[in-house]
Amino acid sequence: MSRIVVITSGKGGVGKTTITANLGSAIARLGFKIALIDADFGLRNLDLLLGLEQRVVYTAIDVLAGECTIEKALVKDKRQPNLVLLPAAQNRTKEAISPPEMQQLVAQLDKQFDYIFIDSPAGIEMGFRNAITPAQEAIIVTTPEMAAVRDADRVVGLLESEDIKKIHLIVNRVRPEMIQLNQMISVEDILDLLVVPLIGIVPDDERIIVSTNRGEPLVLDEIPSLPAIAFNNIARRLEGQEIPFLDLMAAHDNLITRIRRRFFGN
Amino acid sequence: MSSHSTSSPLTSQSEPKPSVGKPYSQVHLKRAGKKLLLILPPTTPKEPDKHWVELLQDLKYCLIHHKGTWTPGTNVHLMVDNRLLDGRQFHNISEALEAVDLKLTRVLTSRRQTAVAAATAGYSVEQETPKRELFTSDSSNSPALSEPLYLKTTVRSGITIRHPGTVIIQGDVNPGGDVIADGDIIIWGCLRGIAHAGAKGNPECCIMALRMQPTQLRIAEAVARAPSENPDIFEPEVAYLTAEGIRLKSALNFSKTHVFTPKAKGWTERATTKP
Repeated sequence: MSRIVVITSGKGGVGKTTITANLGSAIARLGFKIALIDADFGLRNLDLLLGLEQRVVYTAIDVLAGECTIEKALVKDKRQPNLVLLPAAQNRTKEAISPPEMQQLVAQLDKQFDYIFIDSPAGIEMGFRNAITPAQEAIIVTTPEMAAVRDADRVVGLLESEDIKKIHLIVNRVRPEMIQLNQMISVEDILDLLVVPLIGIVPDDERIIVSTNRGEPLVLDEIPSLPAIAFNNIARRLEGQEIPFLDLMAAHDNLITRIRRRFFGN
Repeated sequence: MSSHSTSSPLTSQSEPKPSVGKPYSQVHLKRAGKKLLLILPPTTPKEPDKHWVELLQDLKYCLIHHKGTWTPGTNVHLMVDNRLLDGRQFHNISEALEAVDLKLTRVLTSRRQTAVAAATAGYSVEQETPKRELFTSDSSNSPALSEPLYLKTTVRSGITIRHPGTVIIQGDVNPGGDVIADGDIIIWGCLRGIAHAGAKGNPECCIMALRMQPTQLRIAEAVARAPSENPDIFEPEVAYLTAEGIRLKSALNFSKTHVFTPKAKGWTERATTKP
């Protein structure tokens, strides 16, 4: 049996696809077989982030139309032999596919893989429904912004009414220096509102943008970076390992803040 | 010294348009003897057909949060009034009920097509002849409130709890979540969303929360915003209506120090001679 996980957020631009690509690569590197399904029909990006754009021949729509087998549509990753991608069609809209069809697609992949990740589109309309219907568990991605947290809250409610109970939270794009200055909502405040177990905190980093543009997931980079460590930790937490969260504040703990804390207890 | 009557003055707004007298557009589950009645909202001319996906979601939400209040295998009678349902939709409902150990046995409807679909799907059907009423049935005329609704859940963004009585919630009400009750609202948690007590116009109703950080408070026809700055310490508070608008006060002694006077159109401090 595969673990079928949907990655969703409600709000757009919080990093669902980036997290799918990086987390997928991290899991594949741990030795698990994983399939990534791009459910963002009409606005597909996952192939770009993985650098597989030129290898896409068939899409999920072709499989459903009976024009090819699912094995033919799966794109093997060029670096990770354990990772495959089922691309979405770019020339269609979200209405081109229905929840039962999505379920049928996932059912064909079930049992062949340890993990199946579904990258959900933004919003809570048809595309979102397609993405969550086959899933057994969910990873909610949010950023420390009021709008993203609000939308995440709405999505948690929708997932609960669809009886998806295993929900984990990733807080993406955290900027410790801003939290320290009280300019950004802290992770604690987000958890207080959402009441969803936290599985990872990913710091904001310019290298993510670079890796996205190059089509090389940051976790596969040879030079270690904080976001890459965070992704690897999330992958291992998904496997049930107990790994302490990164102390992002430590990197910004300079002498002045230490002295201030010493004398003012703050 | 009389304690300061308002812990924080609320910004009152003039004459809002609250949803007073609006029929309940929510799925209801009611106990009737040994069986349960599942009541789907009637179709109104304004909202000819609430989207089926949405309705089904309401139903699932309602079932999940009432889970455990019935014995497994309880029979359910579905009351659909004039709503048009087809075989697939009956199948959806029955599936949702089976998932929580309930059994759909009987369908009550006033619409012929629905009755036929239900009979085809194998349920016992009771078709009421649609009564031609001189006065359109108005459920808002019934003065008696239904029994309190007790929920153990977080009311998240996008969820509206409507109930023709008092609502008690063990959990938070998040921003974007609404609680609309004809009676009082008691939130054993943090109120961050919108609460509307006495939605049918009862000014006596109150809103209580362990932590009051609402987006908006409404009592009967009055609306108030919370102060934009949070107080230093949070304590359980109660929101009540006075002639000047909605006020907040520590919930601890409210029932002892305040009394509702219809003449003053709100709650006033009890005149007590202090020793």
